[in-house]
Amino acid sequence: MGGIGLVLNVAKDALLTQQYAIDVTSHNIANVDTEGYSRQTAVIEAKDAAPYGGFIFGRGVELNNIIRNTNDFIEARLQSGQSDLGYVSEQVTYMNVMETIFDESSSSSLSTQLDEFWAAWNDLALNPSGSPERNVLVEDAILLSETFNNLNTDIGKMTDQINNSIQAGVDDINDILTKIADINMKIVAIETTGNANDLRDQRSQLVNELSQYMEVNTYEYDDGNLVVTTGKGYTLVSRGDTYPLTLEGDDIILESSPSARIDITDSIESGAMGGWLEMRDNVIPEISANLDELAKSVIWEVNSIHSQGVGLDAFSSVAGSYAVTSNSEELGTVNSGLAYYDKIADGTFNIWVYDSSGTPVSTTVTIDADVGGTSMDSLAADINAIANLSATITGGKLNIAADSGYTFAFSDDTSNVLAALGINTFFQSSSSRSIAVNEDIINEKNNIAAAKIDSSGEAAEGDNSNALKITELQYKDVTVKQWSYSEGTATSGDITNTTLDEYMHMLVSSIGIKSQSLQRTMEYKETIQTELTTARDNISAVSLDEEMTNLIKFQQAYTAAAKLITTADEMLDTLLEVR
Amino acid sequence: MRIASKTIYDRITGSLQSTYSDMFNAQEVVSTSKRINKLSDDPVGLVTVLDLRSSLSNIEQMGRNVSMGKSWLAASESALTQVNDILTDAKELTVQMSSANIGSSERANAAELVGEYLNEIISLANSQSGGRYLFAGTNTDTAPFALNGTTGEVDYNGNTADFSIKIGSGSNITIGKVGSEIFGENWNEDNIFKTLVDLKSYLQSDNVEGIQEVMGYLDEHMTKINAEISEIGGKTIRMEVKENIIADLKLTYTDRKSQLEDADVSEAVIELNSKQLAYNAALTSASKVMELSLVDFMAV
Repeated sequence: MGGIGLVLNVAKDALLTQQYAIDVTSHNIANVDTEGYSRQTAVIEAKDAAPYGGFIFGRGVELNNIIRNTNDFIEARLQSGQSDLGYVSEQVTYMNVMETIFDESSSSSLSTQLDEFWAAWNDLALNPSGSPERNVLVEDAILLSETFNNLNTDIGKMTDQINNSIQAGVDDINDILTKIADINMKIVAIETTGNANDLRDQRSQLVNELSQYMEVNTYEYDDGNLVVTTGKGYTLVSRGDTYPLTLEGDDIILESSPSARIDITDSIESGAMGGWLEMRDNVIPEISANLDELAKSVIWEVNSIHSQGVGLDAFSSVAGSYAVTSNSEELGTVNSGLAYYDKIADGTFNIWVYDSSGTPVSTTVTIDADVGGTSMDSLAADINAIANLSATITGGKLNIAADSGYTFAFSDDTSNVLAALGINTFFQSSSSRSIAVNEDIINEKNNIAAAKIDSSGEAAEGDNSNALKITELQYKDVTVKQWSYSEGTATSGDITNTTLDEYMHMLVSSIGIKSQSLQRTMEYKETIQTELTTARDNISAVSLDEEMTNLIKFQQAYTAAAKLITTADEMLDTLLEVR
Repeated sequence: MRIASKTIYDRITGSLQSTYSDMFNAQEVVSTSKRINKLSDDPVGLVTVLDLRSSLSNIEQMGRNVSMGKSWLAASESALTQVNDILTDAKELTVQMSSANIGSSERANAAELVGEYLNEIISLANSQSGGRYLFAGTNTDTAPFALNGTTGEVDYNGNTADFSIKIGSGSNITIGKVGSEIFGENWNEDNIFKTLVDLKSYLQSDNVEGIQEVMGYLDEHMTKINAEISEIGGKTIRMEVKENIIADLKLTYTDRKSQLEDADVSEAVIELNSKQLAYNAALTSASKVMELSLVDFMAV
C-alpha cells in the first residue's frame, strides 16, 4: 500500500502512538509521589519499511513496549542496605531506652545510691550507737535495693517489648510473603502477553519491606516468578507458595513443610528482626547479668563483714534468709542449693550465749566445707548441742533461738557459713531482681552490726570496728565476674582488682559505648542508604520537569499527526475535485 | 545528570532534619550547660566523671569525719588542759601545806579544796562530745569514772578499746581515748584519783611526809597529762593537714569533673548560633528550590 492511503495510515498510527506516549507520561505524573514507583517509558519505534513504486517507504511509527526504568544491581544493594539499617536502627532505639534507664545525671542513679550507701555506713561509724544514723542507713540501703529492683524491672519490660515487636514482625513478614505470592502469580499470568510494570513495582516494594525485617535474597525466573529466600537460603516464597514463620517460645521457626520445621533464630543476623534478636539474646542479657553480678557482689561483700559483727543488742532469736534445697547435702557444695555455697570454706565461728546477767559462754562451731562435711542437718545438730540454744530448719532456712532469759551473738566466722546462710546479715537475696534489706534489720535497727565482740565476749555500744570495715569496702578490690553473651550463650571471666564502684562505672559506660558505636554505625548506614536511594531515584523516580517536557513534545507530535490527516484529506479533496 | 523530583524533596527533608537535630543537640548543651547529657555522648569521659563523682562524695564524707574528729580532739584537749590546771593548783597547794607553819585547821580547809579538785577532775574525765564520753574507750554511752562510795576508790567503767574514725582509705585515727590509760589503770601511785584521794586524807591527818610524797606524784601526773595533750595536738595538726588536703582535692576533682562534664557556655552558644544559621540557610534554600517547576512556566 502507498500513496495517500499510506499517509492516512501513518497519521493514524502517529496519533495513536503519541496518545499512548501521553498516557504513559500522565501515568508517570500521577505517580510522582508513589513510594516504590518506577518511571515508565514508552518505547516508540519506526515501523518496518515496505517497498512501493520501486522505493522503500517508511510506514510510520508504533509503540513497541512500555518499560520500567530500574537497575537490578542498585535495587539489590538497596535491599541489603535496608536490612543493615534496620538491624542497627532497632538496636539504637532500644539502647536509647537503656540509656534512660541507667540515667546517670539523675540523683536516683545507681552510682549516686551506692555513694549514699557508703556515706551512711561512714556516718554510722562516726556514731555507732546513734539511732538516726541507723535509720538513715536502712533507708539508704532500701533505696539502693529498690534502684537495683527497678533497673531489673525496666530491663525486663524492654525484653517484653522486644518480644511483642518480634511477634508483630513475624505476623507482618507472613503477610508480606502472602502478598508477594499473590503478585507472583499475577505477574506470571500477565507477562505471557506483556509487561506487568506496576505489579513489579509493588513486588519490589514488598521485598524492600521484607528486607527491613530480615536479610533476604531473591532470584527471578524468566516467566516472572520471583523466589524469595532467607539470607541463609531457605525458601520463603516461590510462585504462589509461601513458607510462613512461626514463633515458638523464643525461637523463630520456618515451616518448609509440615514435617520440616527449621529453627532460623540464630541465622537472622540482619534487619529489624536481627536487631531485636541481638538485643534480646545478647545485649540485654549481658547488661542484666552484669547488673546481677554487681548486686550479688554488693550483697556478699557487705553480708560477709556484717555477719562477723554484733548489733546493739544480742539476739534472742535469728532467722536465716538463704534456703538450702536439701538439708542433708554439704553446705559448701552446689548440691546444697545455697546462692553463695562457693564462698563457704573450712573454718570455725563462735557463738556467745549470755545469761540474764550478761555472763557470756562461748562455743566454737567447726565447719567442713568439703564433700562429706557439714550439712544443714549436722550444723543444726551442732548448734542444738549448745546449752540454752535451739536450732530448727524451716523451709531450708536455719533458725536459731535462745531459751527464755538467754541471748546470743556471733563472732570470728572464718568459714563464711553465717553470711552464706543469711544469719546476722544486712541484705537478703542474691540478684538485682530481689535484693532487699534483711527483714531482721528493717524490723530492729539495733541489729545493724557496727560493733564486734571482743575476746572476753563483750561488745561496746560505741564500738564502730565492724562499721569501719564495711566503709573500707568502698576502696577494696574484689573479684567479680564480667559476663558477655554471644549467640545467646553466656561466657564469663573473672576480673580481680576492681572496686564495686569501678565495676558499676564500667557497666554504665559499657552501655554508653555500645550505644555510641551503634549510633555511629547507623549514621554511616544511613548515609550509604541515602546515596543508594538517590542513585536509584536518578534512574527510576519521576522528574516532573522531564515529564512536562515530554508532555509538550508528545502533544506537539500529536498535533502534527492530526495535521497530516488534514493534509491527506485536502489531497483527497484536490483529487476528487478534478473533473 | 538526571535528578528526579523525589530526590529534591528527599534532600530537602534530609538536610532539614539533620540541621534541626544538630540545632536541638546544641540547644540541649546550652540549656543544661552539660557536655555529657546521655551515656553515649562521651562514654569514656563518663567513666572518669563517675569515678570523680564517687571520689567527691567520699571526700565530702571524709571532710565530715575529720570535722567530727577535730571537735572530739578539741573537747579532749580542753578537758585535759583543765585537768592539768587543777593539778598545777593542787601542786601549789601541797607546796604550801607541806610547810611546818601551816596549822591543822588550814590543812582541813585545804582538804576540802582537794575534795573539790577530785570532783572536778572526775567530771572532766567524764567529758562528753555529742552526748558520748571521750575517755570511755568504745563504751561511749556510760560515764567512765565514778567515785565508789564503799571502797572510796574511783572505778573505771569504760573498756580498753580505742574509738577510731576513718579519715581516708585504710587510714583510721584514734580520737576517743581509753580513760584508764590517762588517769591510771590500777589503784596505785600512777592513778591521778588515788593521788588526790590520798592527798585529801594526808591533809586531814596532818601527814606532812605524805603530802611531800604526793608532790612527786603530782609532777609525774602533770608530765603524763602534758604528753597526752601534746599527742592530741599532734593529731589535731594531722587532722588539719588532712582537712587542707581534702579541700584541695575537692577543688581539683570538682575542676576536673567540670572540665569533662560541663560545656563551655560561650562556645556552646556560638555553636547554637552557627547551627541556627545553618538551619535558616537550609530553610531558605529549600523554599527557593521548591518554588521552581516547569509547570509554572507553561502557558495554560
